Amino acid sequence: MTAILRLSEVVKTFPGVRALDGVHLEVREGEVHCLLGQNGAGKSTLIKVLAGVHHADAGEILWQGEPFAPASPQAAMRAGIATIHQELDLVDDLSVAENVFLGHEPSRFGFTRRHGAAARTRTILTELGHPEIPPGRLTRDLPAAGKQIVSMARALSHDARLIVMDEPSAVLAHDEVANLFRIIRELTANGIAVVYISHRLAEIREIGDRVTVLKDGRTTAAGLPARTPTRELVGRMTGRAFEYVFPPREAKAGAAPLLEVCDLSRAGEFAGVSLTVRPGEIVGIAGLVGSGRSELLETIFGARVADRGTVTLDGRRITGVGQAVAHGMGMAPEERKSQALLLDEPVFKNMTLASFTGFARAGFTAAGRERAAARRTADNLELRPRDVDRPVRTLSGGNQQKVVVGRWLLGHTRLLLLDEPTRGVDVGARAELYQVVHDLAADGVGVLLVSSEVPEVLGLADRVLVMREGRLIHEAPAGELDEDTVLDLVMAGSLMEGEAA
Amino acid sequence: MIAETALPKAPKYDDNLLRNLGLVGVLLVLVVIGIVTRPELYSDPSWVRDNILTILQQASAIGVVTVGMTFVIIGGGIDLSVGAIIALAGVWSTTLATQSYGAGGMIFTALVVGVAVGLVNGVLIAYGKLVPFIATLAMLVSARGLAAQISGKQTQVSANETINSLATAKPLGIPLLVWILALVVGAGWVLLNRTTFGRRTVAVGGNPEAARLAGINVKRHTVLLYVLSGLCCGIGAIMLTSQATSAQAAMANLYELDAIAAAIIGGTLLSGGRGTIVGALFGVLVFSTITNLFAINNLATEVQNMVKGGIIVAAVLLQQFRYRSFTNLLRRRNVGNNS
Amino acid sequence: MSATTRRRLLFGTAAAGAGLALTACTSNDTGDNAQVRTDTGGDNGNAAAGPKVIIGFSAPAADHGWIAAITNNAKAQAGAYSDVELRPVEAGSDAAAQRAALSTLIAQKPNVIVMLPHDGKELNATGLEAMRAGIPVINLDRAFPSAAAYRLQIKGDNYGMGLAAGQYIGEQLKAKGVSNPVIGEIPGIDSLELTQERTAGFNAALATFGFKVANRRPAEFTADSGQAAATSLLQALPKLDALWNHDDDQGIGVLAAIKQANRSEFFMVGGAGSKAAIDAIARDDSVLKATVTYSPSMASSAISLARLIGQGKGLSDLVELQVPKEITLASETITKDNASKYAKLGF
Repeated sequence: MTAILRLSEVVKTFPGVRALDGVHLEVREGEVHCLLGQNGAGKSTLIKVLAGVHHADAGEILWQGEPFAPASPQAAMRAGIATIHQELDLVDDLSVAENVFLGHEPSRFGFTRRHGAAARTRTILTELGHPEIPPGRLTRDLPAAGKQIVSMARALSHDARLIVMDEPSAVLAHDEVANLFRIIRELTANGIAVVYISHRLAEIREIGDRVTVLKDGRTTAAGLPARTPTRELVGRMTGRAFEYVFPPREAKAGAAPLLEVCDLSRAGEFAGVSLTVRPGEIVGIAGLVGSGRSELLETIFGARVADRGTVTLDGRRITGVGQAVAHGMGMAPEERKSQALLLDEPVFKNMTLASFTGFARAGFTAAGRERAAARRTADNLELRPRDVDRPVRTLSGGNQQKVVVGRWLLGHTRLLLLDEPTRGVDVGARAELYQVVHDLAADGVGVLLVSSEVPEVLGLADRVLVMREGRLIHEAPAGELDEDTVLDLVMAGSLMEGEAA
Repeated sequence: MIAETALPKAPKYDDNLLRNLGLVGVLLVLVVIGIVTRPELYSDPSWVRDNILTILQQASAIGVVTVGMTFVIIGGGIDLSVGAIIALAGVWSTTLATQSYGAGGMIFTALVVGVAVGLVNGVLIAYGKLVPFIATLAMLVSARGLAAQISGKQTQVSANETINSLATAKPLGIPLLVWILALVVGAGWVLLNRTTFGRRTVAVGGNPEAARLAGINVKRHTVLLYVLSGLCCGIGAIMLTSQATSAQAAMANLYELDAIAAAIIGGTLLSGGRGTIVGALFGVLVFSTITNLFAINNLATEVQNMVKGGIIVAAVLLQQFRYRSFTNLLRRRNVGNNS
Repeated sequence: MSATTRRRLLFGTAAAGAGLALTACTSNDTGDNAQVRTDTGGDNGNAAAGPKVIIGFSAPAADHGWIAAITNNAKAQAGAYSDVELRPVEAGSDAAAQRAALSTLIAQKPNVIVMLPHDGKELNATGLEAMRAGIPVINLDRAFPSAAAYRLQIKGDNYGMGLAAGQYIGEQLKAKGVSNPVIGEIPGIDSLELTQERTAGFNAALATFGFKVANRRPAEFTADSGQAAATSLLQALPKLDALWNHDDDQGIGVLAAIKQANRSEFFMVGGAGSKAAIDAIARDDSVLKATVTYSPSMASSAISLARLIGQGKGLSDLVELQVPKEITLASETITKDNASKYAKLGF
């Protein structure tokens, strides 16, 4: 097989960051080439250079043997490189067909030919195994998996020779991932190359042919076989050797419940939820996206108003965010960037966002004291870089998450709600976050954790609650569950009938 | 540990400082143009001193309003009603009935009217969930309408010598109105940069959801921002009334646009979350200096408006291409030095 | 914003004469200061009561002193005649509303219609409609493009205002023997045709003396804009001999700026003829020495002439048997000497 894409010594700098600092990559026809690296390793920048969003400052890119420097995303598309971005770049208010042909609508004399577009869209969707998606439907109405299919259809509509997929499985459920892999196999069988990016090593083993590892903008391993042992891959990414490492710990939860949730309901989201969290206890909620778990967390935090039921922290009723924070509750929400961070503000101001009034005297802020406290927390969290004056925007996903968690470490928090704390966080930072959560629990902080990664819930929590379609259907100590059982519960709820009887 | 040395340090230069220096540069260029075009005026030191004070005095009322506007915009809103609030506060404080309470009563009335209208704006936006643009646009129309109603469409002359003398008083040789501007700008700077109120403003404007989930009362703070803007308008109304020795429903025409423009060229992001008081002051001074430059050269005001528009566009373009061109240039040079 | 601009355009003329009233002034009261005149002396047959005349009247909603004065004057003048019945209709806030109101009025078949249109062009068709229905139309101040759309047009003279102001300033400076005078001008909203006419007249008059304007800073017919414009102008001209301010309303701000700048080496002429300006001229305690008129008294005259047209009479001093088709009021110059005579015409 011949190489259709070859990158050597590619460099790209942004103000404050040398994002790519000598990247090598060789992709062959018809292969699935996986790209591995921690957050901030340069994967996203690399993709954007290939997609024509950014231009490399130095280095050589050969596409089908020719020097390649696309002036725009359109140019890259025309050359045969299609990209499916992590944040799906679909226009919600256009139809499926309009999205597929956005920017290259079949037209005659300047008038778009809607029927032609619809017919071709239908053909492509059928090829993708999704004939049931109507080309005329508004994209807004599709589930996340459907949108991904549309994104993929857009790539195929360009007759792409190389498709770059940036964490395509992040928003997909189990069976949807299987379908994705089937499509990828069909694509590669037709000689199309795929560059596949994922944090999940298991996926890489299943679908990948070869692996290139990036670290700090440099290629640390090029073209390794996908069977390369985990230890070695993780080592190349981080210099450390583990994938999921849960620090050992002894649960020593206090007796009296810290948080008591009683019969909490919100129409259309969840119903009849009762749970408790004791000081020093880590309680995990396993459930799929859409099971109502994020909504539940936000309601407990007071950010949504419950239709029914009560939340009490240490015997005090919680009815609003301000009150929840004042009484020692903290939350790291699911969407870090849109729900938790002021991206252009420095790290220390983000860390003290919930506590700056506490540092202040007579309404005057105390930046010096805030900075010092933030520095201590940054050290505890091993924040990289340890510069608390740097805008949060310039940090990697994992380090941004540390800032959010750090916010609540600063604020005398007694109960921490974590919603998908490791989404988009690289392996190294993950382990560090797990350690932080354990340390918190050891200090007597109660933790309520939501995650769609079952191993994470099982490995981290003392007690596991399974949530499905807005209801808690199972509760057990983490030690008594295994991944398959939880997955069964999450997907089908098969144990529910058995236990409820 | 890993990465720490590999990641470059955050850029040390300060965007705001750069931009403010840029605006000072623009001011200097304007002054140089003035010197070149009217050397005979600039050769008289006492005229130059008078001219500087005139520019500052003409910037005073709009400058005070711009400080309030800057807070509102940083907080993620916009206040189109500032000119109308000035008109309403000015008219209300110069009715015969109000004037019978003397200067104190007039000042009190103007401030209360400003605060009250700001309060209505804020409550409509924060609790009524109206879009700021719409809420304050409606207020623009209705406050001017109410002002016309109260004044009976007449120009209400201030017979109060104390009020009128605010515009003529010159403590320490500097007009009182300029002192007021300095005071408001200073207070605004401290409020934005050194208080929890300022921190909340940036948080609420930068990411309201994050602010809310950090326990900040976003709605209450939004109300306070519009009240602050209203208060600034009340102060501005007194300043303008004393300058014109009168008030009427059509006064402070299009002040909202001048205040927004000054805030924007001062580096305040229209989308909220970022902005500076000093920059906004420079923005106002640039406009005031342009007016002065055109006046001393007897140039048509249409051209003056075109130049103003051009400066606004240039400032926003600069803001957008900041990273891509200007600072990137600095950055590249840095990289070059490193390697 | 555009609504404001539009309003300003439509009411530009109105603003030019905006009521400069002290806060005590309640000019909406049709009583003491309305401009009424019925010539009852001598053997003037026109004064005698004739057949009853129904006059329909339409002017924009008064949102300015000058418009308010127009409506008040019309009502007061009609009240002075026993043989006139005035039917005022609300003209609403824009041309469309005024068209609708006038259609209703035309259907009622009054003998004559007097109207101050929102905009002459936009109400032209309505004028034609009334004329075709046999109702003579008297247009106040804002001309219709089509001569068939009106029976009589009576308006002020913007060019004449400028001419009068320039004439007065030229004469005064010449009398003082100033050879190369520095003259300033503060017009109202510069984009309005009426402002341009005033400026053209002013320049023409000054040219006859060999003078020209040294600096010109437009204001917006409001006191605060007048103050700002005057401050700029005074700063630009460290020494000034004469100043024409187009509008006595913005003149409040102009005079304030002059006081704030502590300047008094020049004299100033106003425009429109407000009561406060006339009083100030009579007192002679400021730089304001004269003002040139653009008087809302034209509404009173319009009612008188409407009555004559309705009764088929002409102006008794003219040979013609009918009222002429166009009357342009002369802009008069009010100075200390004749201020007492004009005091009751100030609005």
